[in-house]
Amino acid sequence: MNTATTAALSVAPAITVERRLAGDLAIWIFILAELLAFGVFFAAYAFTRANHIELFDAEQVALHRDAGALNTVLLLTASYFVVRAVQAAERLASAASARWLLAAMVCGAGFVIVKLFEYSAAFEQGVSLSSSPFHMFYLSLTFFHFMHVILGMVILGAMWFGARAGRYRPGDMNGLETGAAYWHMVDLVWLILFPLVYVIH
Amino acid sequence: MHTDTHGNPTRATILWLLLIVATVLTWAVGERGSSGVLIVAFLAVLSIAKGSVIILDFMALRRAPLMWRVLTLGWMALVWALIGLAYWNGMPT
Amino acid sequence: MQYKSQAVAMPYFIAAIGLFVGQIIFGLIMGMQYVVGDFLFPEIPFNVARMVHTNLLIVWLLFGFMGAAYYMVPEESETELYSTKLAWILFWVFLAAGALTILGYLFVPYATLAEMTGNDLLATMGREFLEQPLPTKIGIVVVALAFLFNITMTVLKGRKTAISVVLLLGLWGLAIFFLFSFYNPHNLVRDKLYWWFVVHLWVEGVWELILAALLAFVLIKVTGVDREVIEKWLYVIITLALVTGIIGTGHHFFWIGTPEYWQWWGSIFSALEPVPFFAMTVFAFNMVNRRKREHPNKAAVLWALGTGVMAFLGAGVWGFLHTLAPVNYYTHGSQITAAHGHMAFYGAYVMVVITIISYAMPLLRGRAANSEKAQVLEMWSFWLMTIAMVFITLFLTAAGILQVWLQRVSDTPMSFMAAQDQVVLFYWMREWAGVVFFIGLLTYLASFFVKGETKAVAN
Repeated sequence: MNTATTAALSVAPAITVERRLAGDLAIWIFILAELLAFGVFFAAYAFTRANHIELFDAEQVALHRDAGALNTVLLLTASYFVVRAVQAAERLASAASARWLLAAMVCGAGFVIVKLFEYSAAFEQGVSLSSSPFHMFYLSLTFFHFMHVILGMVILGAMWFGARAGRYRPGDMNGLETGAAYWHMVDLVWLILFPLVYVIH
Repeated sequence: MHTDTHGNPTRATILWLLLIVATVLTWAVGERGSSGVLIVAFLAVLSIAKGSVIILDFMALRRAPLMWRVLTLGWMALVWALIGLAYWNGMPT
Repeated sequence: MQYKSQAVAMPYFIAAIGLFVGQIIFGLIMGMQYVVGDFLFPEIPFNVARMVHTNLLIVWLLFGFMGAAYYMVPEESETELYSTKLAWILFWVFLAAGALTILGYLFVPYATLAEMTGNDLLATMGREFLEQPLPTKIGIVVVALAFLFNITMTVLKGRKTAISVVLLLGLWGLAIFFLFSFYNPHNLVRDKLYWWFVVHLWVEGVWELILAALLAFVLIKVTGVDREVIEKWLYVIITLALVTGIIGTGHHFFWIGTPEYWQWWGSIFSALEPVPFFAMTVFAFNMVNRRKREHPNKAAVLWALGTGVMAFLGAGVWGFLHTLAPVNYYTHGSQITAAHGHMAFYGAYVMVVITIISYAMPLLRGRAANSEKAQVLEMWSFWLMTIAMVFITLFLTAAGILQVWLQRVSDTPMSFMAAQDQVVLFYWMREWAGVVFFIGLLTYLASFFVKGETKAVAN
């Protein structure tokens, strides 16, 4: 083997980007299970709607679309902040990473507050799990998602502590990436939920 | 070895702005109250585009083994296909 | 065996196996009564045989879980048991209470038994699986609390591992949910609702935590895979099991008078209950493939892998078959339910208890593994029992489909008993499969008495 080939071979791994799953395999199995659960719920909504179109369309109009859109923006922004937190940790900037995570948590808290206002308004109008098929789906889907946001906030909090303690650094990003993947999943699911439940009719 | 799994801040910021624009578009469609197959197709494309950004860039699956992109992007496509099918089924004939 | 107090697990395991034999004998009697209605009448009526069959199952599995906890917890906590004496006392109390209850079922008419045991004071009897007289129910609570005290104190004074925490969570949940058996509202809908809090939240909730902990313990021991890897899987599995299992309770609320949304919640979440079982199967095979040592106890490895596969099939797939509300509308309470019940209990709980017994018993008897000859016999018993159970399940499924068709789907539906007459052939085949299962069980018993060269405990 001549030297040129040896050199090329030794350089090769640095050129081809290493194929790597960011985050723990276990959380990805978990994320797939979550996607499956939401997917089944979305399909159930869509096919039930096909049998009750007028009811669904009429009751959908009564939803707070602005609140839904605002919450989309909050979740997307939180996700963006989480990305910045991961990138900061990759640059060894733990303090910056912690600040980005805190900002993400503020957005998450904003989501929770908006949602609570939305729920209290809905409950005042007599919306309940038994008031109609649309309301059943609206409450079930958004509440199931809401619980995920709460869990995601807890995870962000744990990551915030980790980042402040300087626990994440290049080569040791598993904890941060694992939590980040979960938060992005919460966002991803909402990106279907919002148009499906609030807009499409 | 630094593999740059998570891209750079500038790219992330641009993607975030695009995601916000897409959200405003979805909201605007809702405000106009438009409906129909084309509108649903438009919203589906927007949702899949946004989801792809989350999956490929934010979740960093662009640099993961192919299987993970197939599973997640495939999930998006399948869910929207089912929603589309149900919408089609529910159209007044 | 690393700690002297682990030895107390042995009587629990022996009692478990003994009661298992009893359970199968009553299963065979009842299977016979399905086809020859007068068999052993009036000495052992069908309802009594059924009660003994199901109650013995629960009691021997509880013996197995307790034995498993007494064996695992000292080793996980790296300390002797808090009180070995208490464990021995509880063993005799529980065995005596269990035996007395069964004798009561067999020799006293049920109504008389209810009168004798103070059912007028607090009516808790007469409900499926919760037939135990009041003193027995109270005894179960006392034994469970004392047992939990013993185990919890042991964990608190020693090392805390994910496995012991998950095990404790499962065992505490088991005790807490059993308390609903004392609550018997007059309203039938609420009665059924809380009844499921015991029945469903046991087998599709907290018992799954116990199952996962037992399986993880044995897998760590026989594969030598790092604890962290196994613990991570354990967390994912129990989270999935709890979320799908708890909300999945809704699949029992379809037709008992609860609000309609349960049909959606129950269908969707219970349809996902196979997911944690699937993860468990992947987990078991993955760990065995990545093993860092060749453990001499091949039989225990076989039982562990078998648990993964059979739990997924029996609890997961056979549960899914009839869990969606539109399907369940036709199938609930038919032989399809019985098919699922048999394979799920065998695949998940019977097999995991045998797994831990298979792993721990040789160590309790002072050797790393049984002789080659004994293990070969034990593996024969594995295949005999498992294949027999697959056939029992298939025959009952066939009987169930036919029953549902004749009795509920057909344009000219038959009465229950007329439909039963049409599926007799399947009941005969099920009974023969049951006989093969019993032969497998006897083979399993025999494997304990096979001598031969054994391997010393490796340190």
